[in-house]
Amino acid sequence: MSRSRLLPTAILVLGALYCVGPVLWVAIASTKGPTELFTTFSFWPSFEGGFWYNLTHLLRYQDGIYLRWALNSLLYAGVGSVLSVAVSVLAGYALAKYRFPGRNVLFYVILAGVLVPQITLAVPQYLLISELGLVNSYWSVLLPSIISPYGIYLARIYATAVVSDELLEAGRIDGAGEYRLAWSVGLPPMLPGMVTLLLLQFVAIWNNFLLPYIMISDGDRFPMTVGLFTMLNVSTSQPVLYSLVVMGVFLSVLPLIALFLFLQRFWRIDMISGGLKG
Amino acid sequence: MLRDKTNSGGPQQFGRRTFLRGVAGIGAAVTLPALLSACGGDEEASAPPKGDPDAPANLTFWTWTTNIEKVVDIWNAKNPTQKVTVSRQAQGEELITKVLTAHRAGNAPDLIHAEYQALPVLITNGVTADLTELAGTIKGEFTEGTWGLTSFGGTTHAIPQDVGPMMLYYRADLFDKHGLTVPKTWDEFAAVARQVRAKDSKAYLATFSSGDPGWFAGLAEQAGANWWANDNGTWSVTINDEPTKKMAAFWGGLVNEGVLSGKPMYTPEWNKEMSDGTLLAWPSAIWGAGVLEGVAPGTKGKWAMTAMPQWDSASATTGYWGGSATAISAKSSQRAQAEKFVKWLNTDPEATSAMIKEGGIYPAAISGQSSPALSAPPAMMPNQPTFYADAAAIAKTARGFSWAPNVNVTYSSYSDLFAKAIADKADFGAAVDQLQAASVADLKKQGFQVKGA
Amino acid sequence: MTTLSTGRRPARRRGGSAPFVLVAPAVVLLVTFLLVPIGYTVYLSLRAARVTGGGLGRRVEQFVGLENYRGVLTDSAYLDGVVRMLGYGAVVVPVMLGLALLFALLLDTPRVRLTRTTRIGIFLPYAVPGVIASLLWGFMYLPSVSPIRAVLESVNLPAPDFLGPSTVFFSIANIGVWGGVGFNMIVLFTALRGIPGEMYDAARVDGASEIQIALRVKIPLIAPALVMTGIFSIIATLQVFSEPAVIQPLSDSIPSTWVPLMTIYRDAFVNSDIHTAAAASVVLALGTLALSIVVLTVLQRRAFRSDQ
Repeated sequence: MSRSRLLPTAILVLGALYCVGPVLWVAIASTKGPTELFTTFSFWPSFEGGFWYNLTHLLRYQDGIYLRWALNSLLYAGVGSVLSVAVSVLAGYALAKYRFPGRNVLFYVILAGVLVPQITLAVPQYLLISELGLVNSYWSVLLPSIISPYGIYLARIYATAVVSDELLEAGRIDGAGEYRLAWSVGLPPMLPGMVTLLLLQFVAIWNNFLLPYIMISDGDRFPMTVGLFTMLNVSTSQPVLYSLVVMGVFLSVLPLIALFLFLQRFWRIDMISGGLKG
Repeated sequence: MLRDKTNSGGPQQFGRRTFLRGVAGIGAAVTLPALLSACGGDEEASAPPKGDPDAPANLTFWTWTTNIEKVVDIWNAKNPTQKVTVSRQAQGEELITKVLTAHRAGNAPDLIHAEYQALPVLITNGVTADLTELAGTIKGEFTEGTWGLTSFGGTTHAIPQDVGPMMLYYRADLFDKHGLTVPKTWDEFAAVARQVRAKDSKAYLATFSSGDPGWFAGLAEQAGANWWANDNGTWSVTINDEPTKKMAAFWGGLVNEGVLSGKPMYTPEWNKEMSDGTLLAWPSAIWGAGVLEGVAPGTKGKWAMTAMPQWDSASATTGYWGGSATAISAKSSQRAQAEKFVKWLNTDPEATSAMIKEGGIYPAAISGQSSPALSAPPAMMPNQPTFYADAAAIAKTARGFSWAPNVNVTYSSYSDLFAKAIADKADFGAAVDQLQAASVADLKKQGFQVKGA
Repeated sequence: MTTLSTGRRPARRRGGSAPFVLVAPAVVLLVTFLLVPIGYTVYLSLRAARVTGGGLGRRVEQFVGLENYRGVLTDSAYLDGVVRMLGYGAVVVPVMLGLALLFALLLDTPRVRLTRTTRIGIFLPYAVPGVIASLLWGFMYLPSVSPIRAVLESVNLPAPDFLGPSTVFFSIANIGVWGGVGFNMIVLFTALRGIPGEMYDAARVDGASEIQIALRVKIPLIAPALVMTGIFSIIATLQVFSEPAVIQPLSDSIPSTWVPLMTIYRDAFVNSDIHTAAAASVVLALGTLALSIVVLTVLQRRAFRSDQ
């Protein structure tokens, strides 16, 4: 192998090791039972049955609440991302293809949404949600998750790039209605971009902690992030839980990895890169 | 390892400074006419219990007591029409801040689990109902001292659940191995700390934690400090009183000299050090045995518990670390039923025994402290069959001091100031003075009257 | 895409009510969950809870004008945090984007091996929530449990204290880099794949090396992508919070005012002073906005000039 191939490959391998290392550590730590976790060398897996112990005890914890949390996460991230993409694409398309009063104002609002930290908004949002009587419901997490300024922004860029003005114009001359045009001319070319948006939003909601932590007080409605956090809270007095949380973290990372691998081919990340300039 | 995210400690311990401490704390400042009733307000939510205590009810209970679900199950089986639902979402300070926001939004739970030092914050925000009448009916179930933890200016705001008198845990096996004597005074403690360093250059007798203000406050209580007093509406703040400074200087000298460790407790590293014998002793509280089971399960049978080292060997004293009570929301529409449950939970022998067995707590009720459930030692301490008898004797020597409505601010300042003092090897006495200044400044900023400031 | 607000103008102004209907769901949600909370935050920042009336007093919320802002802007701990945050951004953004660009270019180099595996590996941290990532690194840093130190000590190398007063800044920056490098790499790599191959042909015919092609052809061509990743990275670093907040309890080197968001969090969620927190939030958001506009203007002018 020539030097021109070896060096770049070596750098990439180093980079990958750096990125995989901590995740690998969780995988290794999940093989350790409660008494081994803090006493054995951490980059060496254990084969004393700790993995099986952790797995079975985690799944049995509080009558299998971990699976419930996983399903909740799936619900929040699944439903939330689909609704979010729908809202974002409609708005992005309108912003890209029409000039209408308030368009610029709307765009500044979206920009503000990208810039304001979520922590700042958490409490006012909670008070608002409780005014609506929705605290501790699935909606209290879903509704704020639907709105994604970043998503609208990307959808607008993408619509500008891929939806043909000429086709729209031709359709209008043929007398097609605006909604029909949006459906038949606007939507099809945007589909690949929507997959990317869906994925980005899915990850954002799946990984979100603060919002559900504030909104939900019922353990049966926690997503995985909050559930693991509460498990951690009791783990000091219950020795078994400690290693179960490690297992819980390990399992929680797997679905996203699987999702990425599966959706890899559908990605259109270039919509973020600005590579599409229409 | 993941523990570092939490600020968790023992089942009843005051939480560490952390991320996510209490997303809901907001209500405290926003509540409109919240009354400072720590000294007996005139506009308390003091509506007498209305309604039928036996009427059907559906009560929510926010708590973090270990396995409290199993205790509540006993209640639910006996009272099928009065269902109590446990919600476990956060602990310690975090739960309080969540309660405050929920209260502001009108969603507060009927039943609230709170640590003693958090009560003034709840009270000044009007969250808790006045339980003076209920307390009158069960007066004899608790000692005067215990009632003092939940009563302010003649009104009682919560029913005591458990207490956390401080005691010393030490590795009996390693003490034997190194030929160390268990210290009876703090002077001896310092001497043993030096011996430990001499015997094993990797080991320390104990650590001083910048992350645990409640622990520091307990040590100050033992030394004889009184941080706060309220005289007819005017606060005196004396965090830098002589006993506290003496205690801080003692620890600071040893930490800066390298005789004691200065690393925070409740980190993965601390777990490891408690497991592998790097740390030989832990000044903690009665619930500490349960924590040891969590952080160092491999050291079962190796620990022993004894009284705290003393400042004055002639009069044994200890402080409190943690301990908590059950309060009822002032906005609860099921007040009578909630009172019935609170009374049952904290005074009925069946309930307190279940809490001891399932949750590993030390009940506040006098009858609970002689519960048959306490006849066997905690799981980690099979080598000390007299554990609870010893603990009961120590508990009698515990003293506390009263808390102010800005304990939260004082505690977060503690963490910053002492972390810095440890990192800079600075004088701990000066850190205590800064803590005093920060606490006074905050009280004044909120508009409280502060004596001499 | 050109600038954020002007964008590419649509050809015609028409469509009747359609655009309004299409943006309606977004507008309703934006107003409810963004504008109203922002407005409420501003409102809160102008008020404070004060115990008044002497004696016992009562806690009353009242209008205090700009007092909270004065408090924030004269709070040296908050201002130290702002400086530290800017320093953090100055370290993290160039290192993260530099590495992301390096990896993306290497992946795009002909005949390099293992690209598929390494690409997935480098992207992996994106699947790990920020809080959990910080926990994992916290474990890597803690002296007596650190596997990194264990390895170094086993070969008799001096093991650094990752959480000491002089090192903790870089340890936290490392978590930021780790979490962001993969995502940015994918963005840049995708931009590179979007460049038609014939763009390089002329250079190859002229005998240019892969390094020269990368520097002279590829980087200029993906300049817009670099600008966008740069802007979003800057915004992300200005909102740095979970990394230091999670590491804080492990170390005596991080005060609760390490960066502005930590101060805001402490005020709002620990000290129950939402008013000061609201004022500090407004200051931070305005600062972020100003900085983003400056950076965007400067970078974009350059990027698009070279892009023409």
